[in-house]
Amino acid sequence: MRRAAAIAGLALLAAALAGCHVGAGAPTYSAEDGKTKICMMPKLVGIPYFNATERGAKDAARELKVELDYNGPTDAAAVRQVEFIQQWVQLRCDAITVAGNDPDALAPALKEARRAGIKTGSWDADVAKDARSYFVNQATFKAIGEAMMDIMAAETDRKGKFLIVTGSLTAPNQNEWIAAMRKRAKERYPKMRIASVQPGEENLQKGIDVTKSYLSANPDTAGVFGITTVALPGVAEAVRQLGLTGKVKVTGLTDPILVKPYLEEGVVQKAVLWNPEDLGYLAVHVAKRMLDGTMPSSGSFEAGRLGRVKMTAKDEVLLGPPLVFSEKDVDKYDF
Amino acid sequence: MVGGRSVSRELVLAGVLLALIVVMAIASSLFLTTGNLLNTSRFYVEPGLIALGMTLVIVTGGIDLSVGASLALVSVVLGFAFGSGVPLWLAILLALATGLLCGAFNGLFVTLLDLNPLVVTLGTFALFRGLAFVISDAGAVSAFPSWFEVFGQYYVGPVPLQLFVFIAAALGIGLLLARGRFGRYVRAIGYNPRAARYSGVPVARTTIAVYTLTGLLVAVAAIIYTSRVSSARADSGLGLELDVIAAVVLGGASIRGGAGTILGTVLGVLIIAVLRNGLFMAGVPTTWQLIVLGVVLIAAVFVNEFFREAEA
Repeated sequence: MRRAAAIAGLALLAAALAGCHVGAGAPTYSAEDGKTKICMMPKLVGIPYFNATERGAKDAARELKVELDYNGPTDAAAVRQVEFIQQWVQLRCDAITVAGNDPDALAPALKEARRAGIKTGSWDADVAKDARSYFVNQATFKAIGEAMMDIMAAETDRKGKFLIVTGSLTAPNQNEWIAAMRKRAKERYPKMRIASVQPGEENLQKGIDVTKSYLSANPDTAGVFGITTVALPGVAEAVRQLGLTGKVKVTGLTDPILVKPYLEEGVVQKAVLWNPEDLGYLAVHVAKRMLDGTMPSSGSFEAGRLGRVKMTAKDEVLLGPPLVFSEKDVDKYDF
Repeated sequence: MVGGRSVSRELVLAGVLLALIVVMAIASSLFLTTGNLLNTSRFYVEPGLIALGMTLVIVTGGIDLSVGASLALVSVVLGFAFGSGVPLWLAILLALATGLLCGAFNGLFVTLLDLNPLVVTLGTFALFRGLAFVISDAGAVSAFPSWFEVFGQYYVGPVPLQLFVFIAAALGIGLLLARGRFGRYVRAIGYNPRAARYSGVPVARTTIAVYTLTGLLVAVAAIIYTSRVSSARADSGLGLELDVIAAVVLGGASIRGGAGTILGTVLGVLIIAVLRNGLFMAGVPTTWQLIVLGVVLIAAVFVNEFFREAEA
């Protein structure tokens, strides 16, 4: 009996917890008949980045007076995304736009949606080209790589040896950025040399350790790049712990809130990202234009508060130049 | 006798299922359509098949946390064997063998070394997933010949083919557990393993058979799954054990062993399917679905304990 009572207590506790969370405002989108319905899927839900894209998407939905269903898996699993797309077909969405966890695995489900008369698009991470009409690209590899290199060049007098801490040595987008950085250095900054690329394996402690041991062995290093959201805070922490703040320059790509303490301490002067709120906002605008049949095949188009947005290919939209932020404006960004 | 009581438990479950269907139908006008229900049933055939085996495992007083991982391993073996030039029919046989071996491996460690199934299958949970990642090297195989679609994307009229596989398996295993000598052994082991051994029940053999059967069901589920999503990847079946074990416990199987029915488990699978699909159709974010699922599971354990107190 005591056991039953204990279990009952637990159940009540769980129910109460769930209850107060729901009370605190579970986001539900009321279904209004006749309204255009756009179904939008992030790679996963519940992380700051994709919460920010959701905020932007909701802003756009409000402005455009469309109904938005923003939902995705709780882990970055392609198969769950497939199931969600298939259920959205049943739900008769007018447009589906996805940030794909796998370009090929999602393609059959998106094509199935198309056969049911639904417009398909992608954003953040593209899917197979023949499964979607438009891809909303947050930033080109070239622009991101060049922005990081330019920041470092300005801080190190355009010379010295540099370390890059990346996620993994096989991650395609990070390797594209590194290639763009090398190219930029070769063309513009011949005295800057990338001496080593080390993997931080998307683990904060690993990033700190890798940076520390490299800097101990190579004291002539002028600066370190951390080119993933996890790598940059790790690099900055290592430089801070070694007492090299200001001597070894640090920049890279990360979420503003993750690097804020290092911006305030002066370990990092500037870092790069794109604005995920704007990305979500633009993805909904593009979905709406797909439905209205007003997407151009070249040139640019008007996207609400973002102003004019450029087409970089007949089926690809570019959000814009990367966002460079520093201590001065870091508080503006909530992601 | 347990029989009369368990009928009333299953009536309660059927009532809960019906109530949920009504709630979901009100929440989303597109939920209660044959198109949606039949389409969605495809997502729950795989956890359903595995839940049948899991019922037997739990009735013996065991647990198998490795089912999601072994589904990924089987899927990857199938996909990558085919991808490296093995004929597809042979790759399918290899997949079935892999599932059997995974199950047998769990069963052997649990019985012969007399280890706690929770710890053994927590180990194989990591081991099988790790192997799947090693074999696939974080890649995926997607280019299957079109006849492979028959397992996961074929419809008989409006009904997905795999639904018949599930119904047949549920009937077969239901009979096995309720009627046969094997079922009696399974319950006896869960009720009191020592007493079972002294009264001549082949405890080791039965337990190994139960885990191996679960492995085979995982393999069948993995083939259907790989065909359904036409993709073999190491991150398949993440968190699958949650849905499977939740369905079994929801269905009234005692986590301490000795009690449980296939009918209950099938109702448990249906309740979870309706919950997940209904909440999705109503536009409730998936994070909230996890919370609802957790609450339902804890409530189910509470209700089960209540029933058992009444039985005792």
